[in-house]
Amino acid sequence: MKFRRPVIVIGLLVAVLVSSNYLDNSVFSSGYTKNYPVVVCPPTLPGLASQVSVSGKKTKYRYVASKKTTMSPTGFARLPIAKDAILIDAVGITPTIWQSRSGSWAGGTLCSGPISSQWFVGGTADITSKGRLLIVNSGLSEAIIDVEVWSESGAQVVKVLTVPARSYSVQGLDSLAPGERKLVVHVSARAGRVNAFVVDEQGKGLRALGGDMVNSVTDPAKLQVIPAIPNQNSKKNKSKKSEYVLRVLAPGELDARISAEILSADGRFIPVGLNQRSIQKGIVTEFTITPNLSASAFALRITSDEPIVSSIFSRVVVSGRSDFVWSTPATPLQEMSIAVTGLTPLFVFAGDNIDVTIDTRLSNGKHKSARVKATDIAAWRVPNSARVVTIVRTSKNVTGGALVSSLNGYGYIPLIPGSVLTKAAIPLSNIRVLNP
Amino acid sequence: MAEKVANDLHRVTAILVVHDGALWLPEVVASIASQSRSVNQIIAIDTGSIDASPKLLSGAKIPTLSAPRDLGFGDAVQLGVEKLPASVSGAHEWLWILHDDCAPTPTALEKLLEAVADRPQVVMAGPKLLGWHDGTHLLEVGVSIAGNGARWTGLEKNEYDQGQRDGVSDVLSVSTAGALIRRDVFEELGGFDPELALFRDDVDFGWRARVAGHAVIVVSDAVAFHAQASATERRSIDVDGAFLHRPLLLDRRNAAYVLLANSSWWLLPWLSIQLLGSAIGRALVYLVAKLPGYASDELLAVVTILIRPGAILNARKTRKKTRMISPRVVASYIPPRWSQLRLAVSNIAESVRERLLPTSAEPIPTSIDLNEDEDLLVPISTAKWSSLLKKPQLVATLAILFFTIVWSRNRFGSLVGGALPATPESAMDLWRSYLESWHQVGMGSTTASPTWVALVAALSTILFGKSALFISLFFLIAPLLMVITSFHLFSQFTKNQWLATTCALLYAISPVSIASINSGRLGTIVVIILLPLLLMSLRKWESIDEYSWRHIWATSLIAGVIFAFSLSFFLASILFVAYSMYQDYKQDKKFNTLSKKRLALLIAPFLSNAPYSFEALLHPMRFLSEPGIALSGGGPNLSIIGNPGGAGAIPWWIVSPIILILLISLFSSSKARKVSEVGFVILLAGTLLSSLSISVHGNSSSVKIWVGTFIACATLASGICAVIILDKLRDVLRSTHVHHRHYLAALLLVVTAIYATGAIFWTVGNGADSTVRSDKTTVIPAFLEIENSTKTLVIREVKANGENELQFAISRGGELYLGDPDVSPNTNPDIDTAVRELIDGSGLSTSELLSHYGIKYIFVKNPAREEIIRAIDGLGGFTRTSATSAGIIWKVSGATGRLIYTDSNGKRQNLDSGEIGVRTSLPGPGTLTLTENYSRSWKVLKDGQYLERNKNENDLPTFTALSSGEFSLIHDGTIRRGWLSLQLIFLVTVIVLALPAGRRKSQISEKELA
Repeated sequence: MKFRRPVIVIGLLVAVLVSSNYLDNSVFSSGYTKNYPVVVCPPTLPGLASQVSVSGKKTKYRYVASKKTTMSPTGFARLPIAKDAILIDAVGITPTIWQSRSGSWAGGTLCSGPISSQWFVGGTADITSKGRLLIVNSGLSEAIIDVEVWSESGAQVVKVLTVPARSYSVQGLDSLAPGERKLVVHVSARAGRVNAFVVDEQGKGLRALGGDMVNSVTDPAKLQVIPAIPNQNSKKNKSKKSEYVLRVLAPGELDARISAEILSADGRFIPVGLNQRSIQKGIVTEFTITPNLSASAFALRITSDEPIVSSIFSRVVVSGRSDFVWSTPATPLQEMSIAVTGLTPLFVFAGDNIDVTIDTRLSNGKHKSARVKATDIAAWRVPNSARVVTIVRTSKNVTGGALVSSLNGYGYIPLIPGSVLTKAAIPLSNIRVLNP
Repeated sequence: MAEKVANDLHRVTAILVVHDGALWLPEVVASIASQSRSVNQIIAIDTGSIDASPKLLSGAKIPTLSAPRDLGFGDAVQLGVEKLPASVSGAHEWLWILHDDCAPTPTALEKLLEAVADRPQVVMAGPKLLGWHDGTHLLEVGVSIAGNGARWTGLEKNEYDQGQRDGVSDVLSVSTAGALIRRDVFEELGGFDPELALFRDDVDFGWRARVAGHAVIVVSDAVAFHAQASATERRSIDVDGAFLHRPLLLDRRNAAYVLLANSSWWLLPWLSIQLLGSAIGRALVYLVAKLPGYASDELLAVVTILIRPGAILNARKTRKKTRMISPRVVASYIPPRWSQLRLAVSNIAESVRERLLPTSAEPIPTSIDLNEDEDLLVPISTAKWSSLLKKPQLVATLAILFFTIVWSRNRFGSLVGGALPATPESAMDLWRSYLESWHQVGMGSTTASPTWVALVAALSTILFGKSALFISLFFLIAPLLMVITSFHLFSQFTKNQWLATTCALLYAISPVSIASINSGRLGTIVVIILLPLLLMSLRKWESIDEYSWRHIWATSLIAGVIFAFSLSFFLASILFVAYSMYQDYKQDKKFNTLSKKRLALLIAPFLSNAPYSFEALLHPMRFLSEPGIALSGGGPNLSIIGNPGGAGAIPWWIVSPIILILLISLFSSSKARKVSEVGFVILLAGTLLSSLSISVHGNSSSVKIWVGTFIACATLASGICAVIILDKLRDVLRSTHVHHRHYLAALLLVVTAIYATGAIFWTVGNGADSTVRSDKTTVIPAFLEIENSTKTLVIREVKANGENELQFAISRGGELYLGDPDVSPNTNPDIDTAVRELIDGSGLSTSELLSHYGIKYIFVKNPAREEIIRAIDGLGGFTRTSATSAGIIWKVSGATGRLIYTDSNGKRQNLDSGEIGVRTSLPGPGTLTLTENYSRSWKVLKDGQYLERNKNENDLPTFTALSSGEFSLIHDGTIRRGWLSLQLIFLVTVIVLALPAGRRKSQISEKELA
């Protein structure tokens, strides 16, 4: 055949080019590692009791102070913590800790991965204060932490704390800014695997005034949504209005102008006196609001022209005893799971257009699904035997918080993940990095 | 007249010893008969000749005594002397000893007698001996013996007789061929020693005569032509006592005997050592020359004499009786060692010169009729400088040098970058790296260093061991070397020097050459340079049986060097040889003969590169790797156009004509077709391979295979095709009408011109800013280099496969040096995990794990992502020690180091560890953990015993000690030494086989001997 040779040559050329390009495309795949950092639950201070809700008995944990590097299964879905802080390999299901002083108060917070910057808006350093700042160093080296405190008098002197490896430090709130009533604490880690927690406990003489765990926010922001503020008065006396105290700080270099808006089943409105209020930079400012609401919970959206941090203080009564709750802002809701074993919280969602799909894993292993659709605010009660609640899907700009009531008191937990899935490119070993 | 009278007083008896000398005898007899001073009587002793010698003697009417065939020369002479009538009183009786292969000139006897007439003390006189076949070849003017037993004539090899040695000289002795010996002294000294049946009897007799107070002279006016038939193995040695009847063995044995029997007693130990040493030395030389028989002769000779001390003692006793003066009198006749050395050096230099600049045997042809008068009238004409430009080689050399200098403007100095790690200043460091069994790279490695490390070290000796300078110069002159070697190859395909030169230049600036130099691909550069030499050596590949085995071995040495630098060339060679063998089998050619030589070319280089090549069989990916750091190639779409791609490669849009030439040649009717078929297949194979990714040299990151070697082969094939096609193309095109050849030629020229212009401009512009440069910056901060062998985890973002990737490696404090990447160990999964958790912030116990592996610091090189730094800061277990523009360094918490002692309470303590081995003390009983990769060669010697070695949970070697005290940590290199010895044996064997073989004297032609 006359063209046999050209056909063979061209055929070979094309075959090799096609096959090599196919191979070329198929051999590369970027490798990524996805990981949930191990979370830290706070230690239990003397006189308090703690239970950590985890997703199951096989969830692994170890004490921060332990020299062992291996973790053991909890053996329980709700783990009592006697004293030390613990590390939990929660694998994306955020554990919650519920602390209480018997017959006095109760409060909850999330066990979270190491956070380099935490803002606590809550607590007091006056004569009523029995509050504590707990700093846990779960790392293997000394941690160096800056503690900045603001009060109604302005910024206090920065305190630098050193926390040894595998240990925690307890600082009395009254020692941070003695005599000051309105506190905002910023904990930032210079080095080390650090988590901070604030327990605000108040009392006047022998009379306990209640207590709560103050949840933290990561960064100041111009928009803050506090999604769940308990409102108990509606049931007993509709004419009596509850008092809420909004504590705000503009930590930046400029004064801030804020406006607040209540989102409730009764509608959306701006509380009296909270429209375009100016707050001085560096001064912790409080506003009292007394909305007349019928719903058991409401949300507050605060907008500002400068980054601010805020929280709202609510007085509650549980079993005839007085307690208080610090409700803090939450970041927009995202797909996440939270362990709620032993708790039956009320999830409150706030947002312009709420559409949240929830999956609940019960203690018997069964799942229940629910879809919450509403505008402005919606509440959904977690089933009694729930272990893990998963936010399967959510609409945009919805925030969530959980209000928990127990025999000892009342608490608030923001619905945010305690540890975020970290996606990082898998580092590969290559001796080439040693060559210029 | 007075002389004549004096002569008449002499009575000369010629004693002719004959042993199978029919070849020379007629001439010898004639020469005796034609002496101007006739002998008084003659007697021949025939020692059992089996040729025509007896007949010739009887024909010449020479009285002949028959003797047994195994009778020695001395005994034969003695037999003749015994048959002589008693001495005549008052006459000076002389014995004229003649060999059957020695023909004296007609005046020889006369001149000898004249010389002895005035010298009554002379008892032995000999003629000047000249070559039998070449009368100008000076054989001997007296003879002596060197301290190592060598026969010493003081002459240069093949010295031409111009009368430079003429005169009458005092000598230690003269050859028995033509020697005139006083009969009374001969009888008084007991004749020749019967122990010396043949050879060295002359030196021995002269020595004995000297110490008896007599004189020995050589008379150059007396001349004899000597065939040296026994020494040159022209006849068999049948004398009694000649062990194995080997002349060299007998000569060496007798030399040792003479020395030991005659020297002063206190010299005997030194002489014995000297004899043995020189025998071993000469034996080695003979072995290298592939003359094992001679080698064994040398050794056996000394052994046979040393095991018989009785013979020596008897001889010394006999000599003592006749010794009248101190043996020191001979000292001045024994050549000093320096003169032996000078002569040896002179001979070597002459043989090298002869090899390099052979003397033309043919007279230089000339068409000029010399006319001296005319010469004076013609003005001196000088060549014009412009004529130099007509020499293509010179133009090419100047052009490539200019181009290279501009291109390499950033490479003047110690080079580093790309695939090329830093080069240690001294070649000794390279040698150490090559020889040592343990490499401090990463977590440590026992991988054998590749052979090219030793080659670079050896070649660095040219520059007095300055290896960094060698590498810099090599990169600088690499393009020139490419031009030179390829020019020689291309010249074999064309007589058009301009064509060969142009193609050689294009070869030197081909995409693969430029990319290899720009990215520091040492292996590919060597392939590009040596490949033309290899092809030249194997031009007759199809009929390889025509090559001698020596040629095959010599070629396998070139292939061995290429294999050392590029195992992928070995891979390509396997395919090529397999294909060739298949073709041989199919065509029913001399399959066995051809296959043997083809396989030898594969196997010998492979063995020469052991153990690295052997290890490659266990790690086959090494066959696709190149020396140095694994860098990504450019992928298939670049490879198909002859561009290997990757760092430093010319951009895709500068398309070389390689593929075009190969495609055109595939349809050629010339021999370019076959070459292009091979080149095309290799290019396609390279293209396919370039699409694959591999992880080599202990890296977990994969890179696209660099197929520079394959493309180099295709480029060279393309160059050969171009030369074949374009040779005489102009004539063809001129003589034919315009048709497809004209268009293709035009297309080829245009593409080539565009490529050449583009490549040159790009190379001297952007190409000069390559990754390989003389950069003094190092990755590791200087202070981390202070602590010896400290492990630092270096994390850095680098570009790989076109993307920025986060990569890491463990540094041992210093720079990465040549050869280190090639022995880099496999990654440790635990460390991989630890680093991953470090980066994503999930590693709670990362610092603890890293400290278990002895990693003391973490260094994140700038520019670094902020989140990584935050993650490490936030993880705990790491303390920042510095943050500079170079990067951030954290110290890993806890006691860690190379050698960690853990007591029974679990308390860890760092011990001194040295570089590899160390001697230090143990504080108490406990466990020693060596934070290096586990190897069975790690040993701890304490109190004369090895401690029990175990592997801990991190796969690190641990040793359990029961008490405190000094101990030694060693890495036992016995296995490595064994492998190196094996490699040396392979290499030496191939070298010996490749060297020109020596010839037995019997194989040397008469002409050459003359």
